[in-house]
Amino acid sequence: MPESKQELLRGTLDMLILKVVALGPSHGYAIAQRLQQISKEFFQVHQGSLYPALHRLEDKAWLQAEWKESETGRQAKFYSLTRKGRKHMNAEVIHWERLSDAVALILRAEEES
Amino acid sequence: MRRIRRLFHRSHTEKELDQELRFHLDRQITDYVAAGISPEEARRRAKLEFGGLERVKEEVRDTRWETRVEILLRDLRFGLRNLKKDRRFALVAIFALALGIGASTVVFSIFYNLFFNAFAAKDANRLVVPVIQNTENTGQLGSNLQPLTLHLADLDAIREQNRVFENIVGYLVEMVLAGDGSQMYQFSSTRVTSDAFDFYGVAPLLGRGIVTEDGQPGAPPVFVMSYKTWKGVFHEDPKILGKILTIDGEPRTLVGVMPQLFQAYGLQAQIWIPVTRTRDTPRADEESTAAVLARLKPGITLGTASADLDVIVKRLALLHPDDFPKHFTARVQSAADSLLGPQGGRTQFHSDMKHLLYDLLAAVAMLLLIACSNVGNLLLARATVREKEMAVRSALGATRGRLVRQLLAESSVLAMAACIVGCLFAWFGMKFVPAILPRTGDLYGGGRLGTESAFGLNPPVLFFALGLTLLTTLISGLAPAVRVARADLQPQLAGLGKGANGGFRHGKLRAALVIAEVALAIVLLIGTGLMMRSFFLLTRVDLGFNPKNVLFVVFAPHTRHDKTSVSPLQKFASPQGLALLRDVAERLKALPGVAHVSIENAMPGYSPSAGPKVTVPGAMHTEEAGIFACDENLVPTLELRMIRGRWLSEREVRTAQYVGVISQRLARDFFGETNPVGQQIQVKAFKGPSDATQDAEFQIVGVVQDVISAGPQHPTMPMIFLPYTVRGGFLFLLKTTVEPASLAHAVQEQVWAVDRNEIIALSSPLEDFLERFTYATPEFGLLIAAPLASISLLLVIVGVFSVMAYTVSLQTQEIGIRMALGAQRSSILQMILTKGARLLVAGILLGLFASYGLTRFLASQIWGVSATDSWTFTAVAVLVVAVGLGACLLPARRATRVDPLVALRYE
Repeated sequence: MPESKQELLRGTLDMLILKVVALGPSHGYAIAQRLQQISKEFFQVHQGSLYPALHRLEDKAWLQAEWKESETGRQAKFYSLTRKGRKHMNAEVIHWERLSDAVALILRAEEES
Repeated sequence: MRRIRRLFHRSHTEKELDQELRFHLDRQITDYVAAGISPEEARRRAKLEFGGLERVKEEVRDTRWETRVEILLRDLRFGLRNLKKDRRFALVAIFALALGIGASTVVFSIFYNLFFNAFAAKDANRLVVPVIQNTENTGQLGSNLQPLTLHLADLDAIREQNRVFENIVGYLVEMVLAGDGSQMYQFSSTRVTSDAFDFYGVAPLLGRGIVTEDGQPGAPPVFVMSYKTWKGVFHEDPKILGKILTIDGEPRTLVGVMPQLFQAYGLQAQIWIPVTRTRDTPRADEESTAAVLARLKPGITLGTASADLDVIVKRLALLHPDDFPKHFTARVQSAADSLLGPQGGRTQFHSDMKHLLYDLLAAVAMLLLIACSNVGNLLLARATVREKEMAVRSALGATRGRLVRQLLAESSVLAMAACIVGCLFAWFGMKFVPAILPRTGDLYGGGRLGTESAFGLNPPVLFFALGLTLLTTLISGLAPAVRVARADLQPQLAGLGKGANGGFRHGKLRAALVIAEVALAIVLLIGTGLMMRSFFLLTRVDLGFNPKNVLFVVFAPHTRHDKTSVSPLQKFASPQGLALLRDVAERLKALPGVAHVSIENAMPGYSPSAGPKVTVPGAMHTEEAGIFACDENLVPTLELRMIRGRWLSEREVRTAQYVGVISQRLARDFFGETNPVGQQIQVKAFKGPSDATQDAEFQIVGVVQDVISAGPQHPTMPMIFLPYTVRGGFLFLLKTTVEPASLAHAVQEQVWAVDRNEIIALSSPLEDFLERFTYATPEFGLLIAAPLASISLLLVIVGVFSVMAYTVSLQTQEIGIRMALGAQRSSILQMILTKGARLLVAGILLGLFASYGLTRFLASQIWGVSATDSWTFTAVAVLVVAVGLGACLLPARRATRVDPLVALRYE
């Protein structure tokens, strides 16, 4: 049971990261900030999950990394979406939408009965 | 690439990670400061939120690919260290596995080279041999399957009409005389359709192969030479291309030499010559027919191709009814089947190499399983000892997956070492393979199967060995791993680590492995035992003649340039022919080392295979009898044994008298116990050298002991021996006092001294044929199976010994207590032996049971014994009991020497 929950969360986190990076190349801190902003502070992404996720996605070649000067003038590692990553993200988003539709349907059905 | 770079640039990766995380932290602090928090507070809060730089780093590292590799390497190193600690165990395990892997690799290399690589042709898996099955008579030997042979014009018809073949080529094997002005050679030559070399797709070693242009009428005459001939006859002369040889009267230029691998179109072909013809070249009726080889179009099944071919060939049969049997079906056979199957070649005497290879593969798989269960057992025994270690590691946070991986890493270290040693074994083993590979082929050729150069540790074979290693790792590591994964390790920590009852359940698992091992070995031993018995029976069959020191010499059927369409039979029945035969016989007899020379018409042991009906006056029935035409010298030459009367006399042979000697079986069938000498025997539709056939009466002058006529495995045909002057015959048998093969050259010179244009198609020792047709394949099987069975027995000894030794060491305490309580040594010995015997008996019973069901798959390899031969079953069971108890004895004796005091102090 805990295993599957983790899997679900991890998959979700991956998708969210891809979605954020899709908006433009950004470094880890910016990604964390943006995740928090977008989800209206609902998600508190822990660094202990974010960075392993980033590296994992880089390993899978869904993200590519590049050292660039950041807005503060310091070198930072910028992640950007690869073509493979975009494909995966799109598939993932569709899958997620179907899933949430289904969940919504079920929840509504329960309310009605 | 990036990943691999990262593996070698660890420090760089680490630094980057550090920088990345620090950047995050610093930005967070900056942001907090910007929000108006004091720098110290901001730092504190950011660090708190981040939750430990090192921990995050560790988690990042865990996601990476190279970390997993690192863990694997660490596991392997740890495994290696563990094994080093227990050298004896490691050596036994590696040895057992190496034997299994080595033996499997050798057998696989044979299988691979014969099945997939024997032809070295491109797309060899689509090569097929059209065959024709005579459905009119079922044939005395059950074999009426013949490779389809066609006139070249008919080959063109098939080429145009079929929808299933990519291409179909034809070839004619013949013997030719060749000369270069100073020297004369006799070659086994094959005339091929000019597309045959392109069809086969093997690149030449020197120069070029035969090309389509060579087949155009008027093209410059050329020929291509085999590697063996280039090496053996022309000493690898690098400037040989362009050499002109006069072959059968026509000067031809050598344009290419083929590599050793190429053995197409006549297994022993020495030279290849293109057939010159066009579509419009008319059918030459008197010309001999060509053997054919075809390649299916991709995706066409044998069945579809057979159906298509049958229609076309039946159409041809309507046009030329004389060329085909009255009732037949034509179909295609895969080229591998045609080479290895029971119907391979042109004779029905080939043994079933294909099934033998399957059987050997199965045997070697069993051997490998035995080796695996052996090692699995050793690992289990060790795992029991190491239970405490496992428990501690699991308590320290190792997951089960981690422990299982660790165990598998250990067994893979073992398997890898075994793979290396096994390949070494295989390398040695394969050196012997070409020497024992059975020879095959028909009368006018035949060589060793496959290509001798192809045996070795070539890439596919090495891949196979690696695959086996992986497999053995899994199989042998599986049992201990499963146990660890399922075990409740808690009690181990509580201190019950070692005790007589500690390993009850795995004790059972170990016992099961030993039982399985014994059972598998029994199956192997029984299979080998049956093959051995069958082979000994085969070699002990009374042939009725002595093949030792007999040279068999055949004049070639001279087909190509004798366009007078005189058959050799007719040719040698003419007065000139008879004179020539006698002249040659006289000269051969004068050779040093030749004791007797006989002129005759059959290959002793394998012919005659059919004959006319015979009967005697007063008898109600007729019987088919083989006709053996010969002269007065056959009896001393073959050491035939007379039973009644006398043999044909010199005068009767010279003057062509209608007299005959009948075989024992024919005498018994027609005359029972009465003396047939002096009686008449009538041969229906007797066919002498002239074409007219008519019933003929022969006077019986003697009875001779049966001579086998269809190989030692098959029943003998009733036979009648007639003067060759009446029936015709042009073969020679030479009884020699020296090694018969050494006379081959001298024989040829004597023949050429009489007539420069005669060809010796064949001169081989008679024993060679018996070897090739009958003994070689079972002998080969035995030579492979016997070592496998011996290894399996050895592994069983190791397996039983190690398990018993381990049991004894586990029970040391119990034995000590028993002895302290007054148990006799003999009763301890009995206790241990009983335990061992129980395992053995269970394994043997299971093995016998399995063998009973499995040996029928051996049916094609054994002859003369039943597949459930009780003698073999009993002997093997006794052998395994004896050997197994022997293996128990040493640990059992050790048990009796247990000092009660020491044993009790063990606690």
